[in-house]
Amino acid sequence: MESIPNQGAGVIISEIAAMIVENKAYLSEIDGKIGDGDHGANMAKGFGRAAERLDPDGTLNDAMALLSGVLMSEIGGSMGPLYGMMFSDMADAVEGAEVIDAERFAQMIRAGLDGVQSIGSATVGDKTLVDTYVPAVDTFDAARARGDSFAEALSSMQRAAETGRDSTTDLVSKVGRSARLGERSRGVVDAGATSCCMILSGFATGIAARLA
Amino acid sequence: MPHPKKRTAKDTQSPKPPLRFGEDPLLWVSWLYYEEGLTQGEIARIVGASRPTVNAYLAEARTKGIVSIAISYEKLRSTTLSSALTERFGLDDCLIIPGEGGDRALIDRLGSATAQALPRVLHSGDTIAITWGRTMLSVADAAKDLHLRDATVVQATGGTTATIPYTPEACATRLADSIGARFVPISAPAIVSSPEARRILEQEPVVSEQLQMLGQVNRILFGLSSLRPTSTIHSSGFFEGSIQQQAQYGQAIGSLAGRFIDGTGAIIEGPLGDRTIGIGLDALRAIETRILVSGGYDKVPPMLAALRGNYVTVLVTDAATGEGILRADGLELDSPRPHLKETAPMVTPVRGRRKQFINRTKNAVDEALEGALMAYPGHIEKIGDTVRAIRAVAQKPPGKVGIVIGGGAGHEPSFLGFVGRGLPDAVAVGNVFASPPPDRVLACARDADDGAGVLFIYGNYTGDIMNFDMAAELAEANGITVRSIQTTDDIASVSDNDRAAGRGIAGSIFVFKISGAASARLYSLDECERIARKANASCYTIGVALEPGSSPETQRPSFQLGEADMEFGVGVHGEPGALRQPMTSADRIVDQICDRLFEEMALNEGDRIAVLVNSFGGTPMMELFILNRRLNQRLAKRNITVHKSLVGNFFTSLDMVGASVTLLKLDEELTGLLDDSCEGFAYSQ
Repeated sequence: MESIPNQGAGVIISEIAAMIVENKAYLSEIDGKIGDGDHGANMAKGFGRAAERLDPDGTLNDAMALLSGVLMSEIGGSMGPLYGMMFSDMADAVEGAEVIDAERFAQMIRAGLDGVQSIGSATVGDKTLVDTYVPAVDTFDAARARGDSFAEALSSMQRAAETGRDSTTDLVSKVGRSARLGERSRGVVDAGATSCCMILSGFATGIAARLA
Repeated sequence: MPHPKKRTAKDTQSPKPPLRFGEDPLLWVSWLYYEEGLTQGEIARIVGASRPTVNAYLAEARTKGIVSIAISYEKLRSTTLSSALTERFGLDDCLIIPGEGGDRALIDRLGSATAQALPRVLHSGDTIAITWGRTMLSVADAAKDLHLRDATVVQATGGTTATIPYTPEACATRLADSIGARFVPISAPAIVSSPEARRILEQEPVVSEQLQMLGQVNRILFGLSSLRPTSTIHSSGFFEGSIQQQAQYGQAIGSLAGRFIDGTGAIIEGPLGDRTIGIGLDALRAIETRILVSGGYDKVPPMLAALRGNYVTVLVTDAATGEGILRADGLELDSPRPHLKETAPMVTPVRGRRKQFINRTKNAVDEALEGALMAYPGHIEKIGDTVRAIRAVAQKPPGKVGIVIGGGAGHEPSFLGFVGRGLPDAVAVGNVFASPPPDRVLACARDADDGAGVLFIYGNYTGDIMNFDMAAELAEANGITVRSIQTTDDIASVSDNDRAAGRGIAGSIFVFKISGAASARLYSLDECERIARKANASCYTIGVALEPGSSPETQRPSFQLGEADMEFGVGVHGEPGALRQPMTSADRIVDQICDRLFEEMALNEGDRIAVLVNSFGGTPMMELFILNRRLNQRLAKRNITVHKSLVGNFFTSLDMVGASVTLLKLDEELTGLLDDSCEGFAYSQ
């Protein structure tokens, strides 16, 4: 199978939320090294609240729209609007679709990236979630252009996201609170890049499991 | 006066090949070299070997550890002496240089030892007096590596004959040159011919002004003169004949700053007192740090007298003199032996959970806001049904520009304590250290708008900018004109003068106050925005953290700070600062803050400022006042007028231990707005 039904894919967002909540302490810990240490708590709060309210048997776009609303209106901080915008634009990209295939998924993650970049100023190399997101999207597109299957492309995307996340360790922060640290921010993985990697990996494994 | 006892073993005059060294030439040569202070050539003659052989023996002795014993013995002796003197005479500090120090004269060695100790006792902003004499000149010359800001060096006494190289002027000017300080002379002789002459001279405006500087001295470097015929006091031409032959000075045992003390340190009044121009001994004793540099057997009696008379807080001398003083004071010295202190096993504290008054962590912010609303019903009330959007209760004049402030929770009393009459109108509250989301800011904007537009004022953080910008778009869509300014007062978070990139911390309070006053005067939105930007540009803050704060989410410290470390330039969310450095005293921390602030602000004599000494939540008022004391000393030194002082909890960071210092440079416009009355629960006047 090269696609999954949109209806019932809301559960993937529940799974992603569970992963974020499970990693609350870890995300806060890495954030605390160069930030204020609240990334895990804020993310878990938003994703946890959304998971309580969303319908896992509903569509992917409904689940993402609900998550976006919670992030935008209840979380604040920088991650609230950034992920809020990301999931909002992703939801718009799959709204009305019967199935999520590789092409639709490509449109969805591209739309999410555009959403993030429309309100954030970061580019690749600034030590942010963009360092995870951009190579993941590019790799997914390249895999499709090569003629890889949806599952293969998802797997490539996940590896690219992980490589992107790890690349932030050697970077000096240029955006956000940690940017004021300059060289002192080097040597620590970025918390936003890490949570973004969790989200993209959640899509990859969640969809791949349902493709089989 | 008891004479110092003769030292024993170490005074051996002519070393012979002693039996106790057996056949061990290494031990013997090391002893002669390190303990007896002989040169390698002298040792070669004694042991009947060549100089290179002696040299090789010494090198081998070092590798075998024989020599390290001798060296640590000497060090320990100095350390033991130093603590004995410190304890016996209640000193703040005592530096003892080893008794045997090579070819250099004792005075030179004392000078360089003092110079090494000076960074610990002299600081930026100090007014330093120095007396005169050979030792003082040596100190002044050796102090070259110390670079102070805003320091002044004052001559402690008037001048003496110019036939000597170590006059009061020479000592003071050289010290001023060495440490980069301003020099203030005393343009009069130290001793004048009559009390009338002194009165006339002291009334001369120039001299009178110079003498007033002596009243501001907070450190003094001084030497002592014994009254022996060879001492400085006679060769200076200071006095004619022998002092002790004058009846009143029969008991005099030493002289400091041209005045006389007896063996107990009591001041001897005599006819010379009325003819002496310079610092008096009572005034000297009132100076905070009093550094005596002196050494040599002839100095033992006057030094002991000075110590007994409480003229000294810091002593610099050599080991032999130190021993002499202790023996003269009746202390039986054991053979110097290290005092082995029992040290408790080092326990590395595990920074675990902090106890907090919390019910459920996820309710902490809401419950705190509910409690605040109950505490100040005359000041604040909620907008609609959420406690996260709050308005001032105060009646607003029609046509007033609305001001909305806000940011994360955890900074209480920021930001809700700063809305009210003459202050901003509404405040949006986020989660702990996280910006409020847009719809809450929008609710505040709607509530604050009265047709004249709304000004958003918030700290310069990525999250706040995103959320407030989104709210501004939503408000504009609702027909509300919005202007936004970000506070950027934290100068420690930015490099190369990029002030626009700074974080908004405690200085934001002044921006809120001044902008609130502008809107209360019914200034236009353009004017309010201009004034807010001007207030922000005039605000400079630096924060220092001593201990991390702990979030109610985790109830654990949000970062780690070593037991002996502090974080300089820290932010209000526990973000690491510009640099981590060893903990030091309150005054030194303020000095470091002042040096940076003064430079950045280009503060000049006669400027007016407002001051905010702010706790990060865990530092008590008492310590804030200690910081404020030094801050005001430094400001006074620059002739900066403090127009208004705020000291307390204004912009906190949960329970972080630390403080920030904000200086707001004032002009007429800002002063007027700052002085307007206002009424917020955390700021009213």
